[in-house]
Amino acid sequence: MDVFRRVVLNNLDALLGGLWVTVQVSAIAFVLALLLGFAAALVRLYVRPARYLAETYIQFCRNTPIFVQLMWVAYVWPDVVGWPRSFFAAGFTALALQSSGYLAETFRSGIQGMDRGQRESAYSLGMPPLLTMRRIILPQVLLLMSPAIMNQFLVVVKSSTLVSVIAVPDLMYHALRLTRVWLEPIEILSVTAFLYIAMVFVLSTLIKWHTDRMRARFG
Amino acid sequence: MPPPTTAGFDFESLRQVFDFSYFWSYREVLLSGLLVNFLVFGFAALLAAGSGFVVCLLRVSRSRAARGIGTFYVELFRNTPEYVFLTWVHFVLPLVLTRLLVTRVNFAPTLSAVLALGLCYSGYFAETFRTGILSIPRGHIDAGRAVAMGRALIMRRIILPQAIRRVLPEALNNSVSLFKATSIVSLIAVPDLMYNVVNVVQYEMRPLPLYSSAAFLFFAILFMLSALVQALTERWRTRAWG
Repeated sequence: MDVFRRVVLNNLDALLGGLWVTVQVSAIAFVLALLLGFAAALVRLYVRPARYLAETYIQFCRNTPIFVQLMWVAYVWPDVVGWPRSFFAAGFTALALQSSGYLAETFRSGIQGMDRGQRESAYSLGMPPLLTMRRIILPQVLLLMSPAIMNQFLVVVKSSTLVSVIAVPDLMYHALRLTRVWLEPIEILSVTAFLYIAMVFVLSTLIKWHTDRMRARFG
Repeated sequence: MPPPTTAGFDFESLRQVFDFSYFWSYREVLLSGLLVNFLVFGFAALLAAGSGFVVCLLRVSRSRAARGIGTFYVELFRNTPEYVFLTWVHFVLPLVLTRLLVTRVNFAPTLSAVLALGLCYSGYFAETFRTGILSIPRGHIDAGRAVAMGRALIMRRIILPQAIRRVLPEALNNSVSLFKATSIVSLIAVPDLMYNVVNVVQYEMRPLPLYSSAAFLFFAILFMLSALVQALTERWRTRAWG
């Protein structure tokens, strides 16, 4: 208990600050992943000439480990395209890249699974394709796919532990740093693991509750 | 972060991204690293499938306590980030065991890696197996009972042979994810592919071609593995296995 007070409670500021960085990285990455994933799905479905490009992008994102992507984005991209300029940006870019591949597949199956009649009846009312997508297709896809989309957020939060490897000061980074300073891994790493598990557990319970409600409403 | 050498797009750097000569000249050490990846994957997959199966039996058991333990196990390991669990198993678990057993316990990095990844993914395997078992119609169990088969016999002769076929595609998908996760074991100094790549980068000071080749290599392997799983799944479906 003495060690716990000395090592964990004294450094609670650092740990909670790290938790805040984790939340920021995950949130930015997820929003970016939604946009990229939706764009990739649209290109994959509707832009004929770029279809294989989008397909390659999606498969590359899905089939590369997040750790490898992090190193790649952080150490290769700046020299090739002059961006990202900070490890924080590299962290959320890599996380977004990975998730956008999965989300693109989710969006694609959602759009393809939509009943043809929805689109046809919109066209018969004279709605142009873009308006049909925005008003008719997209709202239904987002609603139907919301459990899968939100589960991807859990994956982002869990993968975000790895941004500590490229020196983004998230919770895991501070936990490992404090372990090296105090040489008391038991307390620090256990508290860190508990914080992560609690966070993910709360999120997944919320998602499950939402999914059950959806199922009750739409069957 | 060091400032980039160029402000915008740089053609020379792009050429380096597709320069595989560094990777080729270090092929021996890199291949031995890849072998470590496959070894860790193999043992972790065995552990994950084995303990996943046991936990799945707990979760479909009649006893409420056993179900509770199974649910707790699954929720715990599915909600734990792999990297956090990996460091916990490597740095904390040996110390805890040392205090409990009053003998000095030390885990080799490879052992920690297999334990951590195996346990982490056993939660996913348990859920996959459980959906397979639950997908067998109730009538099959009742029919088994009607011919006086015991619970264990029904499980072994009627449920499992059908359930295994149904869950095989999803179990293979879990295995592909597990292989993808083995790239993080380099962070506790298991000499796998990424560990060797990072070492070579520090020696050669050439991050562009080396990290890019590593990414492309992982992509090639994982793409082929998941394509293989998909092809097998299609084949089993056309044979009306599922």
